[in-house]
Amino acid sequence: MPSPLRRPGGRFRQTIRPEFAPWPSFFPPPPFSLLSPCILSLAMSATTSALRPYLNAVKASLDASLCIENFPSQLVERHNKPEVEARSSKEDLLTPIVVSRNENERVLIESSINSVRISISIKQIDDIDRILCHKLTRFLMMRAENFVVLRRKAIAGYDISFLITNFHVEQMYKHKLVDFIIQFMEDIDKEISEMKLSLNARARICAEEFLKHF
Amino acid sequence: MIGHPGASPAHLRGSSHLGAFPHRSVFSSFPLTSTATMILLEYGNLVLKTILKEHFANHDPAKPSSLSHNFADFDGVQFNLATENTDRNVVYLSISWRCFSELASYNAVSHLEKIYGPLVSSPRPGYDFTLAFNMSQLPASETERDELIENLSLLKRHALAVPFERAFDAQLKGDTLPLMQISYRNEESIWIKTDKDRVTVIFSVTFKDPADIVFGKVFLQEFVDARRQTNLQNSPQVIFYPEDAPAELTGVKGIVTDKEKKKSIGYVTFVLFPRHYDAVKRQNTISLIQTFRDYLHYHIKCSKAYMHSRMRARVTAFLQVLNRAKPEVVADKRPAAAVGGGVRSFRQF
Amino acid sequence: MSTSITQFVNPPAPVVCFAYNKDRTMIAISANSEKVFIYRRNGANWDTSAPAFVLAEHDKLVTGIDWAPESNRIVTCSQDRNAYVWSFEDGVAWRPKLVLLRINRAATCVRWSPDERKIAVASGARTISICYFQPQHDWWACRHIKKPIRSTILSLDWHPNSVLVAAGCADFTVRVFFAGIKEVETARPEPTPWGSKLSFDTCYHEFRGACGTSACGWVHSVKFSPDGNTLAWVSHSSSVHFVTSDEGATVQTVNFNGLPQRSVIWASDNSVIAGGHDANIHLFTRGHDGQWAYVRPLDATEKKSSSAGPASGASAAMNMFRQLDSRGQQETDTSLPTVHQNAITQLSPYESSGSRVTAFASSGLDGKVVVWSINSIESSMAGLKIA
Repeated sequence: MPSPLRRPGGRFRQTIRPEFAPWPSFFPPPPFSLLSPCILSLAMSATTSALRPYLNAVKASLDASLCIENFPSQLVERHNKPEVEARSSKEDLLTPIVVSRNENERVLIESSINSVRISISIKQIDDIDRILCHKLTRFLMMRAENFVVLRRKAIAGYDISFLITNFHVEQMYKHKLVDFIIQFMEDIDKEISEMKLSLNARARICAEEFLKHF
Repeated sequence: MIGHPGASPAHLRGSSHLGAFPHRSVFSSFPLTSTATMILLEYGNLVLKTILKEHFANHDPAKPSSLSHNFADFDGVQFNLATENTDRNVVYLSISWRCFSELASYNAVSHLEKIYGPLVSSPRPGYDFTLAFNMSQLPASETERDELIENLSLLKRHALAVPFERAFDAQLKGDTLPLMQISYRNEESIWIKTDKDRVTVIFSVTFKDPADIVFGKVFLQEFVDARRQTNLQNSPQVIFYPEDAPAELTGVKGIVTDKEKKKSIGYVTFVLFPRHYDAVKRQNTISLIQTFRDYLHYHIKCSKAYMHSRMRARVTAFLQVLNRAKPEVVADKRPAAAVGGGVRSFRQF
Repeated sequence: MSTSITQFVNPPAPVVCFAYNKDRTMIAISANSEKVFIYRRNGANWDTSAPAFVLAEHDKLVTGIDWAPESNRIVTCSQDRNAYVWSFEDGVAWRPKLVLLRINRAATCVRWSPDERKIAVASGARTISICYFQPQHDWWACRHIKKPIRSTILSLDWHPNSVLVAAGCADFTVRVFFAGIKEVETARPEPTPWGSKLSFDTCYHEFRGACGTSACGWVHSVKFSPDGNTLAWVSHSSSVHFVTSDEGATVQTVNFNGLPQRSVIWASDNSVIAGGHDANIHLFTRGHDGQWAYVRPLDATEKKSSSAGPASGASAAMNMFRQLDSRGQQETDTSLPTVHQNAITQLSPYESSGSRVTAFASSGLDGKVVVWSINSIESSMAGLKIA
């Protein structure tokens, strides 16, 4: 009998207006990960989409995804590897979920029996955003050892990736780890826009100061 | 408000009035002291000033000390400050600059002779231009000495001022000159074009990494837009050409046309009218415009340093949030064996 | 008796699995390490200052512990591919005896058969090792059940008759096998409604729950009912499944609107309790019509406003600054509104009367082992009767 994960099936797009999210805010959508690949797209018109429902959807999905346990490798003796990275067996992987606010802002949650990989695409509107985002994420990733759950390299198409294994969940409170990811998503947007503002402000002051002296 | 991490220009900038020695009459009427706050760069060379100040102060006529310093300035300028082997009273200040031959072709030497007069000496081997002075003939008063030092520190500024002076003089007389090019850096040049009613100064600006390109564009766009402000209406018009050179430079050799290389180059044009280089404003304008390229890069660097410090703070903040996920270590629940005896000490956190 | 919470290992380490001895005066714990700690109870209180015994023979995480109540032997298995049977010799120390599992991947779960003559060991080698003692060699030998298992076995349970084994696998499937071994069985096993063929490694059934159109997830825990006629298991799709042997073997699936369960036990022949990733325990019961339904969470702990009163003096000030430095905030209340503060790893019956469990124990990733009394749960929740 074919497992749903082996089924090649096409992706279906499920559009969910935040106010009609199909699950209560506390409980995650349980069988999500085991359904066909899903893309949750919250409020397709970018102008009306508020940040909060997006983050709530990410939070609920993370809560559901972070149900992981110690799982020894099926492939290598005496090894214990994050299955989401090793990808040694399809049955140990869950269907990835994408939660997207708009084309620029989305989160990919790949889950497995003992690890979860969370990749975030950060809003970037222009070149400045791109440079600032690149600088900031690179800065963070170079300090990945301090962050424990941060992956040294983002996976293709995303700006930053986290890898949470069962060992992290054993050492830390799961709900606080989720809070960390959510806060991270909130703050990184804020940080980039503040840096951009400060760059513009400095540029303006410099230009005015220079030209004033002619 | 924008912070200024790293070296603040505050202590780099000095009052850059020109001294009177030996040609007080040329400059004394238009001091270059700007009322600027701490944002602008200074025009003179600080290392040179510091060394000379110390050397002058410690000078013992009976036993003159020797000097031998090599140091650099913006735009690849190399200075050498050295005493004569046979007579330590004689001090040479030599400058080496890749564009000096171009400057010489615009009569730089005779212009510098006007400023430095008897100090001009034949260039020392390996250098383009040399000034020499004798410690035994130093002016007596402190202020005159300071003026001498100030004037010497402006050697680079005076050298680069030559083509500007020439263009301004020509325009005011109604002449037009052929386009003057000063290849003052390896990949960057200044062009000066004299028209009937104006002088156009064009800079090529290159950026090394992709972040600088983006940041540079933000800054240059602000230079373009700043003139919309009412108090800046009289400033020169600034035009920014990303990638492609302006029409004034058509036919000029060495303009980059390669599609990839072009991306890291921009051209900035300042349009100067006689009001910018009349007798009162001329020296100020020349000094200011010379520092444009370095000013721009200096502030791009400051921005990056500031962002770096911000990111550092943000990383700390993120770590704090992550630490909240770690269970607290209950301090008072120590294993029974440890409680009994031993010296109490404070654990390092 | 009310709920009692014990934190055995300090600093807290996740409890992977645990087992009590017969009279519940000792507990063996795998605290996320390669060692097994045995703690002893002095009267009403557990001596948690230090373990009474440490069983140190494994060199990888200990994944399963089971304590045979009558013969007082402990079996442990580990990701190092080994299992040991420990017996308490000369009243002094626990001595290990190696079990020859003949597997090349981690062992994941171990269970004594109810008659304590056989051991079932699940493994990542797609194999169940049914082990038995060979007195002539003085070792534990085993026979393998391999077919048709194609994946890591995550959970195991013996039928009360000691010859059937149910295995929950990572390929979403539960299988029921005949695991009787001729040379061990004292009498010819009676056929059960699960199947009648009495030859080793016969697979009687393969069950999969159905969640919508797809199969359900990894089977974390599987248990036979006390009468042996119903099998319950929990899978990663947040569902609990039941199948009764004499019903034509159709699976009943109860979807649960929360995080997946990791462990399940029978509270009586008509009710099960499950606990898992939401750190709570939940009750499911069978109605008179034979239909299973979710009832409610059983842990309704009131969230304490402030656990400890404000500490005083210099240490409080120091603590405050340390908090500010490392976390950027002062308040430290990070607790969940449940007794367990992290996922529950195992549930075990603690006290029974007949087929009815009157108290059960749970362990969590937060390092706690909690004993719950059914009576006190019932009295705290109006109208609740677990039978």
